[in-house]
Amino acid sequence: MSNYYDIDDILAEEELVPSVFQHAANGVGLFDSSDDTDKVEAGSRAELPFWLVRELYLRQLISIRVPPCFDRESKTREEIAADAAHVDLRSRSQYFYELGCKIALLIGDRTIGPFLLVAFRTRYKDVLVKAHTLTLTTAPKYLTLLTNEETKLYEAGQSSIAAFKKWRMGGPRFQIAPVLGRKRKPT
Amino acid sequence: MAGTSDPHGSAFSAAELEFLAEDEMIEIVPNLRMDPLNFISGDFGPFRPQIAAQAPLWLAVALKKRGKCTIRAPEWMSVDKLSQVLEAERDSEKFQPLPFHYVEISRLLFDHARDDIPDIYMVRSLIEDIKDVRFHKIGKGLEIISKERTYALRLKNLSAMEANIVRPFVTRALETFYKLGSSDMIQETDHAPNRQPQATNRGPRRQLKDR
Repeated sequence: MSNYYDIDDILAEEELVPSVFQHAANGVGLFDSSDDTDKVEAGSRAELPFWLVRELYLRQLISIRVPPCFDRESKTREEIAADAAHVDLRSRSQYFYELGCKIALLIGDRTIGPFLLVAFRTRYKDVLVKAHTLTLTTAPKYLTLLTNEETKLYEAGQSSIAAFKKWRMGGPRFQIAPVLGRKRKPT
Repeated sequence: MAGTSDPHGSAFSAAELEFLAEDEMIEIVPNLRMDPLNFISGDFGPFRPQIAAQAPLWLAVALKKRGKCTIRAPEWMSVDKLSQVLEAERDSEKFQPLPFHYVEISRLLFDHARDDIPDIYMVRSLIEDIKDVRFHKIGKGLEIISKERTYALRLKNLSAMEANIVRPFVTRALETFYKLGSSDMIQETDHAPNRQPQATNRGPRRQLKDR
């Protein structure tokens, strides 16, 4: 699934993850830009992009605090359990599932996997129904709730239905090859 | 093979399916005399006036446009057959057997040979109804993907157009379910970086409709 050149995979690693420095670090003051000393104290907190977090975590320089949307006692988990279909996951994280997978594998949290699966299962049904029934005018309101992955799924369903409807309605039955459109050179 | 017209990765566009459907054979009654035609796909003809012959749909449509033949509507396109199919389609969970390209063939015939089909209005609305019922069933059927772990769907008697329409959606959904439901995510995770991938239990295949 994760392809080296997959733009979504790359963008998902840009998501910020709250983490705590275990050691003081010099020369990286921009993470904690409160003074001019250009250093980060041990125990200070910062939000770092995932690609950096992974490397630092594996070197045990920082510890990860699970982002609020995946946390065990978070509001998001309760909301998903209550009515997953109407939770605004996009505002939590646009790459909710991708990031969740990566974090779960990194820190070995076994509760995140099933949680993601349950969330996607419930939301899948809703996407399925909406993709096949919603018209283009009412769609935008619904789309704001979906994460990147779900939007793609929705669009895949929607566009194939639209293409079929277009074909059935008729329209131009012949397409002229671009070569034929050219004018002949006057000889 | 990959469709050029659709950016979302469906294998064929509707127009490409229509092109494929034009290879289906159909019975025509020519009103001209013509020697057998020798094509790569086979020999068709000879054509004699008022003697029925088999021809591929594209040839039939081409002749029809020039007024050189009448097309005999295929057997399944009669009001009797179609009402039977519609009835069965509504009653049963299964998909009824119809020609693989029934959507495309009927559209081509309605466009080009409307005077050759008996009861065309009835036939047209019956086919519309059948198509709607089947699409509804597909939508219902796809909900089961979310209930259990699903790795494959068996699409018995699904027609080309129907399969093509659900393809982008279904493949994407299955991919995501697979990713989230993989053993890495669900079972014990230890983050030793060079772990051998386990052989995953692929689970039973799901039918699109339980029967």
